[in-house]
Amino acid sequence: MRLRSISLSSRILVASIVLAVIVAGVFALLIHAILTLDDAREREAHSKEVTAATVVLEKLVVDLETGLRGTVLSLDRSFLEPWDAAVKELPGRFRGLEELVAGDPAQLRRVRAVRTAINNYVNDFARPLVDIARDAPAVVRSAVATEEGQRRVDEIRSQFDQLLATEDARAEASAESATTQSRRAIIIGVVALLLSALLILLFGLYLRRSMAKPVREVATAASSLAGGDLSVRLEEGGPGEVGELTSAFNNMAEELERRGRELQSQNEMLRESEHRKSELIRIVSHELRTPLASILGFTSVLLTRDVGEEEQRQYLEIIDREGRRLSALLNDFLDAERADEGHLQLEPELIDVGRVVAEQVRLFEGQSDKHTLDMDLRARPLPVHGDAHRLAQVVGNLLSNAIKYSPEGGTVQVVAEQDDGLVRVSVRDEGLGIPDELQENVFAKFFRGDAPASGIPGSGLGLTIARSVVEAHGGRMNFESGRGKGSVFWLELPKAAGG
Amino acid sequence: MQARTAKTILICEDDENLRQLIRVVIGAGYHVVEASDGDEALELAGEHHPDLIILDLMMPRVSGMDVLRRLHQDGGPTGTHIVVMSAWPDADGAALEAGADAFLQKPFEPDALTAIVNDVLGEPAA
Repeated sequence: MRLRSISLSSRILVASIVLAVIVAGVFALLIHAILTLDDAREREAHSKEVTAATVVLEKLVVDLETGLRGTVLSLDRSFLEPWDAAVKELPGRFRGLEELVAGDPAQLRRVRAVRTAINNYVNDFARPLVDIARDAPAVVRSAVATEEGQRRVDEIRSQFDQLLATEDARAEASAESATTQSRRAIIIGVVALLLSALLILLFGLYLRRSMAKPVREVATAASSLAGGDLSVRLEEGGPGEVGELTSAFNNMAEELERRGRELQSQNEMLRESEHRKSELIRIVSHELRTPLASILGFTSVLLTRDVGEEEQRQYLEIIDREGRRLSALLNDFLDAERADEGHLQLEPELIDVGRVVAEQVRLFEGQSDKHTLDMDLRARPLPVHGDAHRLAQVVGNLLSNAIKYSPEGGTVQVVAEQDDGLVRVSVRDEGLGIPDELQENVFAKFFRGDAPASGIPGSGLGLTIARSVVEAHGGRMNFESGRGKGSVFWLELPKAAGG
Repeated sequence: MQARTAKTILICEDDENLRQLIRVVIGAGYHVVEASDGDEALELAGEHHPDLIILDLMMPRVSGMDVLRRLHQDGGPTGTHIVVMSAWPDADGAALEAGADAFLQKPFEPDALTAIVNDVLGEPAA
């Protein structure tokens, strides 16, 4: 949709220009109508001037005739005074009328014809008649002369009538045109007013729909967002800037929600870690108290009771063993802490991992009569550049776990082999196994899964330390397991080149 | 087999050293039975009707707390006293609520255990 991509400000600009052009056009029409009306009025006024000038001339002709007739009848020269005045006035009046009708050739022709007729009447008829009247009054009073005079004057009058009638028609046409123009101007004005009002209304509605409504929606959504509802979203789209606004708003809401979730998960992790820490304190104190109970208890017995020599020795052995257990436990805590900070100390030398495994298996064989330890070390020697004590600790941990987590007994299968530059040790048990949902935390510090509920002792540190030791050797460690299916824990170490 | 007059004490504790310590501390004169996990504890309790049970809370398979609850579920151990012993520092309230008669925090004073045993069962038969 190309239209959608046109920005709102461009649209408003275009709409404003269109509105302005329409309003200007409408007003131009109105002004034109008014000017035409003016023109018609002017023409009407002009016609009236022409009529007035014509009437004045007609009156002069009447004066001429009256003067002539008086002179002829009375032979009194005094009657000729108005006649002379009229004759003198005629040329000026005609010039004025000719100027008025200069733009109208038909009327000009008529005016000139009247002028010629009057001149002829004055020069060819009236003056000779006045001259003859002195010598032969009877002749000038004859019917022939009188009739001739009457005919000429009638001719002139009829020419004047024609002139006036034409001008009247012109004036009437102009007046009619003026009325029409004035009506048209009123209609155009009203239509223009209504049209402009309608356009402004439409423009306002458009602004409201395309700007006010989306802005209000954004404001409402922003209030919801501020109120804590981070899931609020706007329908994206809308022209130009509105589209940008809604999509920017949605991005912002998305980002806020994402950060909220992040914060929440960080919070949960913190709470989890806090929980683990307090769990750790409980575990540490519990784990320390059990050997401590033996040490303090037997010491107290030795100090306060009479005990035979043989028992004395046995109790001291227990105190010694439990003291060492306590010490080992403390070392585990410290190791876990060091592994956490990456400060695990190794004392590497060329060793046979097979020998380390064999020693540990021998050590654990005597610890449980319910378990059979099955060892496969056919591939010996398994040379590795490593810390024998630390690796023994790792293998010991795997064996101890295999026994602890198969409380019903069974076979623990230990295999050490080499393959493709790697030495691999695996410990398989037939025990409880690890449910899928707990597997991702198996190597986490202090994680013990279902062990506490099952009464299986431990600090939850063994595997954390074991994996750190293996990784510090450049190897890796992992497991496969399932609920009730037992577990296989394995580790791989780089084989020493010299072996 | 001890004489019939000797009282029976059941020691439920998964740590072998502590079982021995308890045995040494309470001394001769009692018929002592030992269990190293919760299952065995319930089984021996049913079999021997002990006068006193010394019960560790954290044991494999069935925890001490579950042993305590189950003993009380079966109509209550008539004439059986239970002393709970735990390394968990805050387990005393729950243990007493679940029906224990006394609670001993590990590590414990041998004299405190002797006092409780004497208090509950009287002086041992000579």
